[in-house]
Amino acid sequence: MQTRSPWKLAFSRFRRDRLSFAAGCVFAFIVIVSFAGGATASALLHHNGTDIFPYAANDNQKPVGPWTRVPAKHGSYGYSNGDLTPPPKGAPTTLLIFGADGALGRDEFIRVVDGGKASLEIAIGGVLIALLIGLPLGAISGYFGGVTDTLVSRVTETVMSFPLLLFLVFASVNLDYTLKPIGAWGSIIPEGVVAEAVLIGVFTSFYPTRLVRARLLTLRREEFVEAAEMVGASHWRILRHHLLPHLRPTLLVWAAVATATNILLEVGLSFIGAGVQPETPTWGSLLSTTWGTIYQPQLFTSVSFTVWQTIFPTAAILLCVLSLNQLSEGLRHALEPQADR
Amino acid sequence: MSRIVSFLIRRAIAGVFTVWVMFTFAFVVFWSIPSQPANFVYPGRQHLTDYQIQQADHILGIDRPKLTQYYDYVWHVLHWKFGRSWGDYAFNPGLPSGIHYPDVSSELSREIGVTLSITLGGALFVLLLSVPLGAIAGSHLRSLSDRTISLVALIGVCTHPMVIALILRGIFGEHLHWVPPTGYCPLRQSGYPGCDGVRDWASHLILPWTTFTLLFLALYIRMIRASVAETLPEDFVRTARSKGASELRVMARHVLPNASLRVLTMVGMEIGTAIAVCAYIETAFGMQGLGLAGIQAMLGLDLPEILGVVTAITLIVVLGNLIVDGLYAFIDPRVRFTVDNNRTKSLAGGVI
Repeated sequence: MQTRSPWKLAFSRFRRDRLSFAAGCVFAFIVIVSFAGGATASALLHHNGTDIFPYAANDNQKPVGPWTRVPAKHGSYGYSNGDLTPPPKGAPTTLLIFGADGALGRDEFIRVVDGGKASLEIAIGGVLIALLIGLPLGAISGYFGGVTDTLVSRVTETVMSFPLLLFLVFASVNLDYTLKPIGAWGSIIPEGVVAEAVLIGVFTSFYPTRLVRARLLTLRREEFVEAAEMVGASHWRILRHHLLPHLRPTLLVWAAVATATNILLEVGLSFIGAGVQPETPTWGSLLSTTWGTIYQPQLFTSVSFTVWQTIFPTAAILLCVLSLNQLSEGLRHALEPQADR
Repeated sequence: MSRIVSFLIRRAIAGVFTVWVMFTFAFVVFWSIPSQPANFVYPGRQHLTDYQIQQADHILGIDRPKLTQYYDYVWHVLHWKFGRSWGDYAFNPGLPSGIHYPDVSSELSREIGVTLSITLGGALFVLLLSVPLGAIAGSHLRSLSDRTISLVALIGVCTHPMVIALILRGIFGEHLHWVPPTGYCPLRQSGYPGCDGVRDWASHLILPWTTFTLLFLALYIRMIRASVAETLPEDFVRTARSKGASELRVMARHVLPNASLRVLTMVGMEIGTAIAVCAYIETAFGMQGLGLAGIQAMLGLDLPEILGVVTAITLIVVLGNLIVDGLYAFIDPRVRFTVDNNRTKSLAGGVI
C-alpha cells in the first residue's frame, strides 16, 4: 500500500474536478503570458508597449482596430496643413495585434499583457502583505486570547463594517509622494506598484486576521494541541508545527479569492484616480484612460474611441477573476473535502 | 422576548460605539496627514503668507487646540450639525453672516436619499431575481440550467461595476436614449426641471439598479442554490410532498424559508460593501450620493464633509445591522444571540 501525503491527495482530488482544473490552467496561462509575454512580443514585433506610432490613430485621435499594420516609425513623415503626411511607398510596417491604445498609438496588445503583469503584481503583493499582517495578528489573537483578542476582534469588526474604499482613496492620494518611489525596479516592477500593493494589503489584512483567529479559536481546544503542550512544546513550536499546517488550506482558498478581488479593487482605484500613474499600464489604468476618472470624466464617443479599448482589458479581467473564483472553489473542495459546501 | 430586547439593546450600544470609533478614526487620520486647509480660503494661490495662513486657520476655526475642536465636533454631531463644507469658504472669506450656504447636514440628507434609493431598489431587484433563479439552480443541480444560471450570474461579479455602469450608460443612455444617462430626480416634488414624481425618479434609477443587481446577483443565487440543494433531500420535504403539496408550494413554504437566515446574514455583512459600490455607480451616472461625496471629500481633504460622510455611512451600516439582527430574532427565535465570529466577506466584498 502506497502512502500519499495530504497535498498529493488534495491534488488528485483537484485533478478530478475538471472545471476547476481548467480554471487553474487558465490562471496559470494568464500569469505566464503576463510575465513573459510582454518581452517576447516586443522581441517578435520589434516594438514595445511605450513606443508611440503616430500613424496608428487617425485625425480624430481614434486608434486603429485589431490586427492592423502601421508604419513602424515612432515619429511622423512630416506634416502638411497640420495633418500627417501619408507614409512613403514601401515604408517598413509593424503589426499591432490588438490595435492601438489611444491617441498616442501605442500597442494595445503589449499594454494589456504588461498591464496584466502590473495588476497581478499588485493583487498578489496585496495578498502577501495582508497575510504578513493578518497571520501574526490573528495567531496572537486566536491562540493567546485575552485583552489582545478583545481588542483585535473589536477593531476588525468595527472597521470591516465600514466601506474601506473611502479610506483607501484617502491614504492612496495623500501618501502618494511618500510611497510612490518605493520599490520601482526597471520594467519588472513599475513605479507605484509596490505602493498600491502595500495600501491594498494593509486595508484588506482584516480578512486573514479574522480567518486565522476564528480557525485557531476552535483548533486550540483540540486534543493534539493539548498533547503537544503536555510534552512541553513551546507556544512557538505549537503554532509553527502543529497549528500552521491546519491553516494552510483556509488561507490558500482565501488567497485565490483575494487575488481576484484585489484585481477588481485596482481597477476601481484607477477609476477614482487613486491608482498608479496612467502611463504605467495596468488593467485598471487602461480602462480609465478610455473612460476617464472622477476628476476628468470622458464621454465615450465612437468618433475618438474604439470598442476594443474597453473589450480587451475587460475580457482579461473577466477571464482572470472568473478563473481565480473557480480555482478557489476547486481548492476548497480539494483541500477541505470534509467541510464540503 | 426580553432576551431579544436585551440582545438588541446590546447591539445598539455596540453600534453607537462603532459610530464613535469611526468618527474619531476619521478625525485622527485627517490630522495626521499633512494638509493645508488655508488653501480652501485662498483657492488657487501658489504661495500664502504666514498672516494669510493664520487668518484662514482662524476663519476655519482650526487654530484652536485639537481636543477643543474634537469636543466641539462631537457635541455638534450629536445635534446632527456638521457645519459648513470648507469648500464654501472659498467664495467669501469674510464669513458672511446673513447669507445662507447649504451646510453639510442638509447636503447629507440629500445624499443619503440618493444612496438609499440605489441600494434599497437594487436590493429589491436582487431579491426578486435571485430567489427564483437560485431555486431553479438548486433543484436541478449540475443540469444545464444550473450551470447557465451560475455562469451568467458570475459574469456580473467578475467585471468591475464601474465598467458595467459605463457600458450600460453608453448603450441605453447615450446611444439609444431609452433612459436619461445621468443625474438623479428626488422622489418628492422639488422643482427640478424635468423631474416629476415617481416615474422620473425610477427612469433615472433603472440603470443604477441594473448595475447593482448584476454585481450582487451571483452571490445570492449561489447561496440560495446551496441552501435549496441542502434542504431538498430532507425528510420534511418528502413528508410535504407525500401530503400532496405541489412542487411550487413545497419550494415556497418548506424549502426556501431555510435560506432566509443565510441571506439575512449576508445582507448584514454587505451593507458597507453596497455603499462602496454605490460610490462607483454614483460616479458613473453622475449622481451626488453618499459614496461619491465621500470620495470627493477624501480627495479634497475637506474635514467637515469627511466627518459628515463617515458618520452618515457608519450610521446606515449600524442601523442596517440592527434591523437585520431584529429580523433574525423574529424569523428564528431559537437563534443564539451572539455575534458570529466566522464572518468573511464574499467576492463582491472585494470591490469594497
